[in-house]
Amino acid sequence: MTDTRSQRWRSLVRRELREYRVSLVWTPFAVAVLLSLLMLAGLFVANQFSNLGEIVLDVISQAQDEDGLTVNLRMTVDEDGNRVAELVTESTESLADGLEPLRRDYQVEPAPDLADEALWSFASDWSFRPQDSSGAPDQDEREASGPVTSLHPLLYGIHGIMLLVLLLVTVNYLQGCLYVDRKDRSILFWKSMPVSAWEEVLAKLSVALLVAPAMFLVASVLTQWAMLLVALVLSSRVQVDALGLVLANVQIAHWLLDQVGGWLANALWSLPLYAWLMLASAGARRSPTLLAVTPLVVLVALEAVLLGSQTVIEAVWGRMPRLTPDGTSGGLFLQALPWQGGGLLAMLAGLCVAAGLLWGCVWLRRNRWEL
Amino acid sequence: MTRVVEARGLRRRFGEQQAVAGVDLQLEAGSVLGLIGPNGAGKTTLLRSLLGLTRCEGELSVLGLDPRREQARLMRDVCFIADTAVLPRWMRVQELLDYTEGVHPRFSRAHAERLLARTEVGLQRRIAELSKGMTVQLHLALVMAIDARLLILDEPTLGLDILFRKQFFEQLLNDYFDEERTIIISTHQVEEVEHILTHAMFMNRGRTLLCDSMLALEQRYVELRAVGEAATRAATIPHLGQRPLLGGRALIYEDVNRELLAPLGDLCTPALADLFVAKVGEDNGHD
Repeated sequence: MTDTRSQRWRSLVRRELREYRVSLVWTPFAVAVLLSLLMLAGLFVANQFSNLGEIVLDVISQAQDEDGLTVNLRMTVDEDGNRVAELVTESTESLADGLEPLRRDYQVEPAPDLADEALWSFASDWSFRPQDSSGAPDQDEREASGPVTSLHPLLYGIHGIMLLVLLLVTVNYLQGCLYVDRKDRSILFWKSMPVSAWEEVLAKLSVALLVAPAMFLVASVLTQWAMLLVALVLSSRVQVDALGLVLANVQIAHWLLDQVGGWLANALWSLPLYAWLMLASAGARRSPTLLAVTPLVVLVALEAVLLGSQTVIEAVWGRMPRLTPDGTSGGLFLQALPWQGGGLLAMLAGLCVAAGLLWGCVWLRRNRWEL
Repeated sequence: MTRVVEARGLRRRFGEQQAVAGVDLQLEAGSVLGLIGPNGAGKTTLLRSLLGLTRCEGELSVLGLDPRREQARLMRDVCFIADTAVLPRWMRVQELLDYTEGVHPRFSRAHAERLLARTEVGLQRRIAELSKGMTVQLHLALVMAIDARLLILDEPTLGLDILFRKQFFEQLLNDYFDEERTIIISTHQVEEVEHILTHAMFMNRGRTLLCDSMLALEQRYVELRAVGEAATRAATIPHLGQRPLLGGRALIYEDVNRELLAPLGDLCTPALADLFVAKVGEDNGHD
């Protein structure tokens, strides 16, 4: 019989994870597995394309031109030591009755352009320098878009998908967390335990704010590691220093801090919306969704009709976690702290509103829990 | 004796309806109180008031705490079973024990598992899969494994067959109750709990009709079974209520001289159910 605070919180959180085990525990890892399978499928398809490419090259090298000729290049050195390039074409045209021709015709044409010294200097280092039609970028631009962050957009794309699922799961959780037990009357059992309404509400909020994101972040990071592994495999096919290449393109500490910190920052910014959904869940008699949406729609409509402004909808929209690409990252990252645009005061105001809404949840939980 | 419940002038209104209308209740440790009343009498509201589950007016103290302000703290020493359908159906039995062990400082998991081992409730089973009777067994095992000082049961055996009901109350009495513990039971099956009660309280329309110890009830109320002419004469003496018997009548009297009734027939202590019907009938007849 232990009564430690940490054990109580563990029990409260574990209860939530068990009740919502499909959405909070299985879903992130199911999405991770699905994305990994898609990547593996992509790798397999890429492999097929690679094999296909080799076949295509063979076909091209042995193909006849429009005149039914195959083309060969003959390189010779003349008496003066000059390189001479000649194109030798052979006619392989069959006779009308399908028999082999009795005589083969060859045509030899000089090709001085192909005899250029630079083309045949095999001793020189080869490097791939794609042409840039817009002109060469300056040094700063090249550093900014250099190889250090080149894999990040790809990894952030995976992370973005996981966050989108997390948002859906979180909204679903917040809407049900203070409603479902009232609907099935199990609230009477929960209330028979020595757990205060504040503990219940804060435990549920912490699940939405910390635990669920942690589950999804772990799944997201694992998926991104899988993606890096795929990149490693693909790189190793072209016989370069695959590990070095991949690691040079990912700043692991920056990448993790960006994703974890970014979510937490956005979650704090969106806390009033979380608390609003919880309040709807605590107060709903039939549908938490309707109760959450209807007052906002009415307010927005009234404001639009009476004042002709859009303050409410802008305020709500401004608190939404942002999934749109922002700069080089995919949104919800530390490069774009949500309160940088609105100011720290807006952040604090949001937290005060959230505290008020949570107090409302506790009051409803204590006094208006019966449906 | 320690005072467990102290309520004076307890009131609770839902709109126009006065669910609890000025109830007084004092209960000492070691009591088993039967709360009896017709549907809508205010029993559940009264019990929820004692548990801090609903707001109410008046003076109220349970185990020295005000349930309205210290509900969570009160639940360390108070257990309650609302009815058979309140355990979370999505949980497994094992998970229910995990949770209770995690949040309740007075819960003994070993004791609960010992009690469950006597039943057919497996630890891995989901509560949704259990029958009503098994769910009640589970809930009772859970409650009995909590070292609480007050147990409140609101229609705990509702919808159960007679075997489960009998087993429930026997287990409650034999394995749980002692002089330090107090039990309040609200039920319609008065006959089945009568023998375990030390006190009885009748409620009707939010008011207390009767609240006394079973010993005091035996001394205060008497039932006369009379036949023929004696029954007619007995009916002329002011009584609470009467019911027909084969060839005669059974009449219940309050605070009457038993020597006056003795020549008219057999005297006995009225059954709680009969007394309840008589008191409610009298109360309804006054309006």
